[in-house]
Amino acid sequence: MTFPVATVATLAWRNLWRNHRRTLIMLAAITLGVWAMIFMTAMMRGMTDQVVTNGLNVLPGEVQIHHPDYRRDPSVVNRMEPPTAELKAALDLPPVKAWSARVKVPAVVSSERDSRGVVLLGIDPVAEKLLGSLPDEIVEGRFLESADDRGVVIGASLARRLETRLGKRVVLMSQDPDNNVADRGVRVVGIYRARLRASEDIYVYGGLRPVQSMLGIGEDISEIAATADDYRSVNQWYPRIAAAAGEQLEVLSWPELDAYLGTSLKVQDGFSLIFIVVVFLVLSFGLVNTLVMAVFERVREIGLMQALGMRPGLILAQILLESIYLLVLGLLAGNLSAWLTIKPLESGIDVSSMGDGLEMAGMSATLYPALEIQDMIMATVVVLGLGLLASILPAWRAANLDPITALART
Amino acid sequence: MNITLRLAWRNLWRHKRRTWLTVGAMIFCNVLMVFLISLQLGSYTMMIENTLNASTGHIQVQHQGYLDDQKMRQTVPGVSQLANSLRGRYGLQAVAARASAFALASSEERSFGIQVSGVQPEFETQVSTFPGLVKSGRYLQGSEASEVVIGAVLAENLKVKLGDEITLLGSGLDGSFAAAVATVVGIVETGIDPVDRSVAQVPLAWFQEVFAMGDHGHAVVIQVADLDLVPAALQQVQAHIESEANLVALDWDTLLPGLQQAIASDMTSAWFMYGVLILLVAFSVLNTQLMSVLERTREFGVMLALGMAPGKLARLVGIETLLMAILGLTVGVLLGAMVAWYFNVFGFYYPGMDEMAARFNLPGRMYPEISFLSLFWGPGTVFLGVLFAAIYPAMRLYQLQPVDAMRAV
Amino acid sequence: MNAIRCQALCKTFRQGEEIITGLNNVSLEVEEGEFLCLSGPSGSGKTTLLNAWGGLATPDSGEITVGDHRIDQLGKGALADLRLHNIGFVFQAYNLIPVLSARENVEFVMQVQGVPTADRHQRAEAILEEVGLTGMSDRLPAELSGGQQQRVAVARAIVSKPELVLADEPTANLDSKSAAELMALFVALNNERGITFVIATHDTRVMAYARRLIKMVDGVVVSDERQEPQDMAV
Repeated sequence: MTFPVATVATLAWRNLWRNHRRTLIMLAAITLGVWAMIFMTAMMRGMTDQVVTNGLNVLPGEVQIHHPDYRRDPSVVNRMEPPTAELKAALDLPPVKAWSARVKVPAVVSSERDSRGVVLLGIDPVAEKLLGSLPDEIVEGRFLESADDRGVVIGASLARRLETRLGKRVVLMSQDPDNNVADRGVRVVGIYRARLRASEDIYVYGGLRPVQSMLGIGEDISEIAATADDYRSVNQWYPRIAAAAGEQLEVLSWPELDAYLGTSLKVQDGFSLIFIVVVFLVLSFGLVNTLVMAVFERVREIGLMQALGMRPGLILAQILLESIYLLVLGLLAGNLSAWLTIKPLESGIDVSSMGDGLEMAGMSATLYPALEIQDMIMATVVVLGLGLLASILPAWRAANLDPITALART
Repeated sequence: MNITLRLAWRNLWRHKRRTWLTVGAMIFCNVLMVFLISLQLGSYTMMIENTLNASTGHIQVQHQGYLDDQKMRQTVPGVSQLANSLRGRYGLQAVAARASAFALASSEERSFGIQVSGVQPEFETQVSTFPGLVKSGRYLQGSEASEVVIGAVLAENLKVKLGDEITLLGSGLDGSFAAAVATVVGIVETGIDPVDRSVAQVPLAWFQEVFAMGDHGHAVVIQVADLDLVPAALQQVQAHIESEANLVALDWDTLLPGLQQAIASDMTSAWFMYGVLILLVAFSVLNTQLMSVLERTREFGVMLALGMAPGKLARLVGIETLLMAILGLTVGVLLGAMVAWYFNVFGFYYPGMDEMAARFNLPGRMYPEISFLSLFWGPGTVFLGVLFAAIYPAMRLYQLQPVDAMRAV
Repeated sequence: MNAIRCQALCKTFRQGEEIITGLNNVSLEVEEGEFLCLSGPSGSGKTTLLNAWGGLATPDSGEITVGDHRIDQLGKGALADLRLHNIGFVFQAYNLIPVLSARENVEFVMQVQGVPTADRHQRAEAILEEVGLTGMSDRLPAELSGGQQQRVAVARAIVSKPELVLADEPTANLDSKSAAELMALFVALNNERGITFVIATHDTRVMAYARRLIKMVDGVVVSDERQEPQDMAV
């Protein structure tokens, strides 16, 4: 038997608009639901992206290489030699966009007035710039110019706490590999501001080589960080780096480096799906109701069609198609409105009134919703798939009406 | 039973399936909201309590500006005396004095810059959960002994064990060089990494001597019995220190502005979701009631022709909606309370939650709070939304013309 | 050949507590080209018999053959196909699908059968003209009178050239003029195309057109007479 697509399509379409008020209300509900699914997911993804990028900026780099004991005991003792030729070759291959070797040790910085415990970073500014790990904004002075730069750049908050300022000298103090105090007076050449205030208090940037010589560690470094600018793809390239680094070194990707970030991402993905399904479930009550009513009103007609020789399968298809029309229209409108509302917001939503609270969660005071095609697809697939599933029961009942009883209904 | 009420009730069950589907949406939404809101409120309370009890306390008396700058010279003079004078008054539960200074802590193998706190051991135990978390050794005892209690991660970083000595180097209040040696008598493990990595406590009197503080300190930490009592206590403490121009009393919200905001931002995003769910339920009710009005056009026409005022018909529709809303509320709250109660007893766990929770000083398992607010906040809003949704269908009745209506199929 | 043959048909229904006999051991043969009326009071079983012949209801026992198909044991789908290709139906009022225009209602059956579009339009227009509905093909059922609606139903019943048309109280909601016109149309189609007509009715005006009149009471055939049709053309 042929499947009369056109007949079923026409019938379903016209039936959909017989009760245009009901259809419009249902459409509005589906549109709202889909919009909310995508909007909320985009906000959550934006937040997670931010948590992860901020986290990675602090780390930074999606893959890091250390001495195996360094993470437990981030002391100068647990340092490593500069990368071998083999490791360098691996790090220079795409998709790795940038990598940098640095010294990162705990230190004390003292002004005439006060002292603070900090993390001293000895860096090569050129490589770090490519890595994207430099502070967001230099508010005074300049950033380091080369790996030989003898100045230091400190955070605005730390400067205030130390009561020091641009051009002043501060004393850096740490320990050398033999546990002797290694110290050096340096000039503050720049003051930076970071998205997270906590970073401003902790990180002090100095040139790689002056820091190495202060600590007396020659060419040695604390860590190598590498990035491919897409934190989600890290598993594709990090095994290669691990192989090149050899057994002696510990190579970790960011989900292992920061469990909070790794879980954030997993929790967010799970949460988006839960949210989408929950919204759908609330929506489904209305959807099923609409279809049940539509079938109920049309019992006689359905009986007639059966009497005229329309197979039950076609009746089922007709009701399902009506549901699909409804879902597809709602999905189109929902996706479109989500796109239209999120796009203008992607430049950032100012939520500084909750800034400190968000900082606790690793976010900054501006939210950047992230609209991802895959989220739109996920919402669409869930709504269409579960929507059809929910429609099967009313459609099945319609298809299995007894034509005689149905026809007898007035 | 009132005849309108009886009529409304019977009308509802003319379409059993439709009514149940509509009420079902309400129930589903209500159960979900009761559960989530209880969970949220439960975790907020726990988050505030855990964070405040860790060390912040409910109120602190500090030197003006110390909160932002944390400079050593921003002191509270006569800190122990001030604490003594506050202790036992104004219904304050516990009062303890503290001082704090930066120092380079060195063991034989390692050196770290840390923030050292001077505490009154006998009172510190009342304002902080910290002393109770000593995993090995003991907490501080006398107020003058050269002892130190440090976090587990710090101990590991410094490579020290119980009984080892730590050298503290820093500068005194007067700018003099401060140096002392203290014995590690206890190691504390809170499970919260940043705390375990940074904390070092010594007895206050010894601290004052080492850092040349005299009788000065940096804070008086106050605990009250309940969060609700904070505003009143704050006022009284403020009055108490009025004579000291440079001192301020700060409540926990000022001390930790992130906490309230973290809660507010979480509540906001949660209510965005609830708002959407409630709107969807309202749509569902709007649809149902509109259908039920439209299919009864002929019947309503007859009633109008018999002389019933449109207002009465609108009221009938209103009562029908009200009945559905009450049904949804009752069943929803009951089921929701059961779900919340279950998790209140057994705890709620979501994979990966513990790592997120640790960030906010929360345990890995959550216990929903069961209160009037947690049970009725969500369903109450649904209830209102549902009633609101009946306005349009009811309004349509005013446009009905009896003759046309009776002719309608 | 027989258009319909049935042997010892029995059918009972349950209505609440009671068991109602719809058909009690009915055996009949209808020849091709007959114009037959089933009459009797309501509850006599005439509609049940019609539905059984049309494959809408399955008998509890007995055999039914329509054309050369044994239909009493066919499944739902096969019965639907049989109705689609071999039998035309005309029911009481509200016989049309409300969202489809007159022409689309007629085309509906052909569409389900899979007749190509161009062919379908042409045949629908032609048949509507034949039943006297020229120029009304784009109207929706709600825009047609009761008589016109029934003509559309007839057009739909015969458009796929069935050998058999079953009509259940086709004149029930019609005034006498429209009823007479409808019956005249039936007679004409019976004469010109040789389509077998079986009409269940309790309308005496309709019975007058029949060449064979079967009376039923309580599920039993009480009389089966051939008669000279009266000419009641208006």
